[in-house]
Amino acid sequence: MPFSMTDVGFDRKGTPLLDGIDADVGQGRLTVVTGPSGAGKSTLLRLLNRLADPTRGHLAFNGRPLHEFDVLALRRRVVLVAQHPVLLTDDVAAELRVGRPDLDPADAADLLGRVGLPEELLHRPTAGLSGGQAQRLCLARALALQPEALLLDEPTSALDWAAAEVVLDLARTLTAAGTSVVAVSHDRRWVRAADSALVLDGGRLVEHGPPESLDYLPEGA
Amino acid sequence: MTAAPSWGAVALCTVFVVLAVGLAHARRLALTRELLWAAARAALQLAAVGAVLGAVFSVAGVPGSLAWVGAMVVLAGQVAGYRGRGLHRARLLATVAIAVGSTATLGLLLAIGVIEPVPQAVVPLGGMIVSGSMQAATLSLRQVRTAIDEARPAIEARLCLGLSARQAFAPHTRSAARTALIPAIDATKVVGLISLPGAMTGLILAGVAPLTAVRYQIIVMYMLLGTNTIAAVLTTYLAQFTAFDAAHRLRPTQAPEE
Repeated sequence: MPFSMTDVGFDRKGTPLLDGIDADVGQGRLTVVTGPSGAGKSTLLRLLNRLADPTRGHLAFNGRPLHEFDVLALRRRVVLVAQHPVLLTDDVAAELRVGRPDLDPADAADLLGRVGLPEELLHRPTAGLSGGQAQRLCLARALALQPEALLLDEPTSALDWAAAEVVLDLARTLTAAGTSVVAVSHDRRWVRAADSALVLDGGRLVEHGPPESLDYLPEGA
Repeated sequence: MTAAPSWGAVALCTVFVVLAVGLAHARRLALTRELLWAAARAALQLAAVGAVLGAVFSVAGVPGSLAWVGAMVVLAGQVAGYRGRGLHRARLLATVAIAVGSTATLGLLLAIGVIEPVPQAVVPLGGMIVSGSMQAATLSLRQVRTAIDEARPAIEARLCLGLSARQAFAPHTRSAARTALIPAIDATKVVGLISLPGAMTGLILAGVAPLTAVRYQIIVMYMLLGTNTIAAVLTTYLAQFTAFDAAHRLRPTQAPEE
């Protein structure tokens, strides 16, 4: 199991944001975390790449406690893409090299294609990109690391219908190739496409299973 | 040398305070109490400092002077640290940066023989050096704090790509140090053009030839550039260790700014 969570809880300033989470995330599976706003979904993703540590319980990656890994190496194997895209450099090619300085131009162009961006963007400044292009560029920047697990926070929130389909297809392609994808989403398409869904509400795991078995279905899209 | 003002002359100058109070009162600025308190406080503080300095010069010698400068470093560290509050270990950070900047600058001035190891040189120049370091440390801490508050998503985005805390924070460390040094650099650029600096004014009033006073002032400006730069670079450099925890995570900043 890439990730196994046992009775995981997380408090901030004494307030529990997550409590009693027991769940496994399967290798090469698309796991979608859904639920109402403020349920603790993004917090759960942050625990998986150690941007935060659980206050209670145990978290393991490939059967080994998460805190036993070298944290920098772990973050290159388990890459989180935040909901709001933040671009870190002046041009698109440099952006793709932030985590992979040795990335060659052919691979960089290929990455753009995978997220549905035209190759011509490679030599453009990042300043002129739209919100949706920036969001996909952040995804491509993460893919440059060839992660074992990809953590996506609302990966299609800034995208139109067609672009969102490209990203969802990419997630399926990645999982078919063995990458584990954990995506936080309010989008029904993601929930329906998932191999497994976790429904959080008020920091608790209220449902866990294949999407067709869920009572909860998000309102979005 | 021009005659030093007598205490009677100082007393006569309270006319300026009376003038200020009268004007503030007439314009209903509600500053009467504050003006009187500031004037009284300045007189008392300076009289006390003068008495202590007199004692240091005549009794304590060089060790006492260095202890005096050391006490200023501790106080300056507290002041700068208070300005950077909310950052983890801000006071310690500021104190170390000010101590290193001041020791290096004052030590070098003494080592190369630019100033004599006498209390009359160590205490006033030490005070200027500590004060310069404090300004640089304060501005650096505030810049670091602003960077953490405003650039948290960018810093975390770099951490999420496996970059270390040092790598993720480097662009902000550089810009914080640069911004913190702007006042010192600008002051050096325009020195003498916009206002005559304190040390030079004092020497000229005391009857020293302007070209001699200028030599002192150039030394002062250069040493301030040095000490400010050391303090700013060190503050921002050390901040990258205190702003992150062992797992390369940005610590939350505490207590909102006033």
